[in-house]
Amino acid sequence: MIDERQEELAALHALDLLEGVERERFVAELGRNSELRRRVGDLRQAAAALAHVAPEAEPPAALKARILASASAGRSAARGNAPAALPRAGRPIPFPSWIPWLAAACFCIAAVWSGKRFFDERSENASLREQQRLAQQALDETRGQLGDATRRLAASGAEIAELGAKLKAEGDLAHFKIATLASMLGNSPAAVAVAVWDPSREQGVLDVSKLPALAAAMDYQLWVIDPQYPSPVSGGVFTVDPVTGEAHVVFRADKPVKSIAKFAVSLERKGGVLKPEGPIVLISQ
Amino acid sequence: MARGRSRGIILMMSAGDVDPGNARARENAELLRRMAGGDRDALAELYDHLSRPLYATARHILNDASEAQDVVHDVFLALWENAASFDAGRGAAFSWAVTLTRNRAIDRLRTRTNRARLLGSSMPDDLGYGSNPGILGADDWAELGERADAVRTAVDALPAEQKRALELAFFSGLTQKEIAEKLSEPIGTIKARIRRGLIKLRDSLAQRI
Repeated sequence: MIDERQEELAALHALDLLEGVERERFVAELGRNSELRRRVGDLRQAAAALAHVAPEAEPPAALKARILASASAGRSAARGNAPAALPRAGRPIPFPSWIPWLAAACFCIAAVWSGKRFFDERSENASLREQQRLAQQALDETRGQLGDATRRLAASGAEIAELGAKLKAEGDLAHFKIATLASMLGNSPAAVAVAVWDPSREQGVLDVSKLPALAAAMDYQLWVIDPQYPSPVSGGVFTVDPVTGEAHVVFRADKPVKSIAKFAVSLERKGGVLKPEGPIVLISQ
Repeated sequence: MARGRSRGIILMMSAGDVDPGNARARENAELLRRMAGGDRDALAELYDHLSRPLYATARHILNDASEAQDVVHDVFLALWENAASFDAGRGAAFSWAVTLTRNRAIDRLRTRTNRARLLGSSMPDDLGYGSNPGILGADDWAELGERADAVRTAVDALPAEQKRALELAFFSGLTQKEIAEKLSEPIGTIKARIRRGLIKLRDSLAQRI
């Protein structure tokens, strides 16, 4: 007895619509159920009848000849009995008995030659593989050496750069004008200052300590003494911290400076003057 | 063609497709037996019997005359090479040949890179037989045409939705799921339509014996 589910699967199977697990299970069921197999056969034949409802189309006449020609060629090739060419007199050509032996000998020669070729090529392949392995090894070693050399070069480069920086710093330092300014004040003998002048940047730094605090109308004025000028060149005015007497001043000269003989600090009126007018309070040696 | 003969041919057709024991089926089985023995004339005769519906089927599936010819060529060569394996007890030669043709055509259809476009263009909205009258002339072809008419009549008697589901199932190469999507119906509904339609078709053809 075939139930509705089996009949549905049979119909779908007849149209090759079952897939995957569903199909596998149904095929297994078909193996066990002969009645179901017959039902599938019936439905498959009914499905095949649908071929008649395709719009009619007549195959070209040449198709039949093509099929028959292919069939002849296929069977002939399969059986290996291709017809021999007919003799001119219409008499069959006798088939020499030595031909099979010749064919067998040719086959043996071909087999030996193929075998030799096979072993030669296998040997050659092994040799090539060994060469490749050695080349790869050499390449790996070279890569390692190159890596070491690169690392050493980088380290050397860093050292060179460090040395260069040191040399440059030392060279730059040699060009700097550094001077200590001593006190000229009787009431503040401990006052002191250090001036550093960078000729490449034409800029200097003055650090002052223990200078007395000034009245509001007064300023300290820094002077740069360059022999090319008859009068000192002003480096600007500054004040000090009233408690500590310290000051840190970055200064530039009012005129281009070639060489500095001395630095000096004078006490001037507020805002400074063009030429020193007040007393010198600090001067370099 | 006399109506009486037509009826007789319908009987043969129905038996040929549904009952392998009928005259046409026996004739085709005998041709396959001769083909197994290397009889090329038998192949030529089987070609005359089957080539028209096979070519029409392949062409309808592929919508390409050249590819359809290749399919039919391959199918007849397969029949020629495998004739010895034919077992009349398992089905008619016609069914075997149609199955081979349909499978090969659908395989080709599925391997086309522009499958989606071709599926759309290769499937007309209806089966097309209403607007395409028979063009058979020779007696053999007339016989075949009448067989086709009988099947068409049986298919035409099916409810439209069952006919459409069967048409897509047989000619389109779509899966159950794709058919359901194309018809915007649940897959269970599609399965039921295919089952009912195919059983009705089988019964309708059987009643004509």
